[in-house]
Amino acid sequence: MLTNAFSNPKWGKWIIPGAGLAWSLGCFLLQIQYGLELEVAGVDSFVFGLMLMVGLSVIHSMFGYFLPKKENLGQIFGVPLMLSVLGVVGHRYLLAWWYADEAEYLFFLEKTVYLREAMLAGVEVLWAMLSLLASRLEDQNQLNQRESQMLQLSKDAELAQLRQQLQPHFLFNSLNSISALVASQPHKAREMVLQLSEFLRGTIRKDSKSWIPLSEELNYLRMYLDIERVRFGHRLQVDFEVEPELETVKIPQLLIQPLVENAIKHGLYGMTGSVRIDLKCERQENYLALEISNPFDAEAAVPEGTGFGLSSVERRLYLLFGRKDLLSTEASDGLFRVTLKIPQYQ
Amino acid sequence: MIKTLIIDDEPLAAGIVKEYLGDFPQFEVVEMCQDGFQGLKAIQQHQPDLIFLDVQMPKITGFEMLELLDEPPAVIFTTAFDQYALKAFDAKALDYLLKPFSQARFKQAIERFLEMGEREHDAEENQALGQLAEKSNRLVVRVKNDIKIIPVQEVNYFEAEDDYVAIHTSGGKYLKKMTMKALEESLDAGKFARVHRSFIINLNGITGIEPYERDTYLVKLRGGEQIPVSKTGYARLRQVLGL
Repeated sequence: MLTNAFSNPKWGKWIIPGAGLAWSLGCFLLQIQYGLELEVAGVDSFVFGLMLMVGLSVIHSMFGYFLPKKENLGQIFGVPLMLSVLGVVGHRYLLAWWYADEAEYLFFLEKTVYLREAMLAGVEVLWAMLSLLASRLEDQNQLNQRESQMLQLSKDAELAQLRQQLQPHFLFNSLNSISALVASQPHKAREMVLQLSEFLRGTIRKDSKSWIPLSEELNYLRMYLDIERVRFGHRLQVDFEVEPELETVKIPQLLIQPLVENAIKHGLYGMTGSVRIDLKCERQENYLALEISNPFDAEAAVPEGTGFGLSSVERRLYLLFGRKDLLSTEASDGLFRVTLKIPQYQ
Repeated sequence: MIKTLIIDDEPLAAGIVKEYLGDFPQFEVVEMCQDGFQGLKAIQQHQPDLIFLDVQMPKITGFEMLELLDEPPAVIFTTAFDQYALKAFDAKALDYLLKPFSQARFKQAIERFLEMGEREHDAEENQALGQLAEKSNRLVVRVKNDIKIIPVQEVNYFEAEDDYVAIHTSGGKYLKKMTMKALEESLDAGKFARVHRSFIINLNGITGIEPYERDTYLVKLRGGEQIPVSKTGYARLRQVLGL
């Protein structure tokens, strides 16, 4: 809105009346110079100023709220032109009726119609353009604001994610496993050091906003699961079921990981005996659909997490796609199932 | 031989304890268990002198397992979580090994056990159990040879019975060895209130309060039970309920 152009918003509402006043004053002075009577010149310019104000208000409320699309950008000219014609014609007939017996003034009125039309149209078109520009700028501003907010949030998410992935217990337990392996199975110990390093490197990837191929994310998950497998022996069984042509599909990175971690937390840390975690990935119309399922024990003593798992994914999905219906969970028959849908725009 | 039990859900972690223990031939590892339930059975079966206990395990935690023992053996905790150290100290644990730990640190713990001897820890440990208060949303009790996990919201009321607390739920009554004070501290004060020296009630289940004798009241619960309320208990009840 153009009325928001001033840093002090109180001034904004005076733009239109101010323009009307200046306009009337200018016309009044011109008409005095031309030789019209004071009273006639006053009424004429007052009405003309009023017409301008009406025109400006209409344009302002039109383009302040609705941004014309590219194909009807003609409205920028069309609407002010129409309004100016209405204003001039209205002014002409109103004053011709009011001063019906002033022949000299009527002549003047008739003569100046085109001049008035040109002036009024010029000003109103200019006003329309300004209004449009102001709205555009404002929109852009809002967009920038939203973007920087989103950037901040995703930064927070990444930080929290980092904190969560570096969950000290995971790190220390892994180190403990390495310590146990060093003496008896040095090769395996080295392998685990490498896996752990790769995993840690993955968690500090710089850009959490970038999209990476599904295969890359899955490799990262496999690494994480391999580490858990070393820790828990063959108690953990993981099954990835991914259609091969989906491997190249791009997804936001580190989006699936918290879900798998959640599955591990409830499935592996909370259960005894062998545990099977399934990850299924398929294309559903315009979505990449992912399903992760794990057994769970409703009574298990699950370690208090940072509470960041599912809700973080939900929040990131909202930030990325502006939707809250992409993540759903379901618990039945001792099986916990989480479904994630990632929109694909190809 | 000193009978030793290792309870840890990670085989490698249990393995390292066993490996380190190899330096002390007087210790015999009687069993390696992967969760609290197994651990409990093994303790009853072998009556070990020392247990190495992980905290975070499936089903029940190491602490919860200890609560179920009448005469717990000496305990050395092994965990990657440092936030339990204080609680372990409360539980009169012999030592607290933070994973990963060195052989030297392990040796220290073993020496501490050997110095302490058998006679001391028995008495001390028993006494400690009642004080294992922690904000918790479930209670673990032993019913004969079974373990029952009771979410606190399913409890209607608690009643003191000598050294035990009777836990009354719609599904029955359970006994747990603990003090009313420790229990009261472990419960959410917004959901439970100690209305009497011997009673703690679930505020959710209250259906009515009526005067009884001078300065005392009776609370009626959903199940039809009538619980006496003392003068101070009534004041406390009024405060939590905002009357």
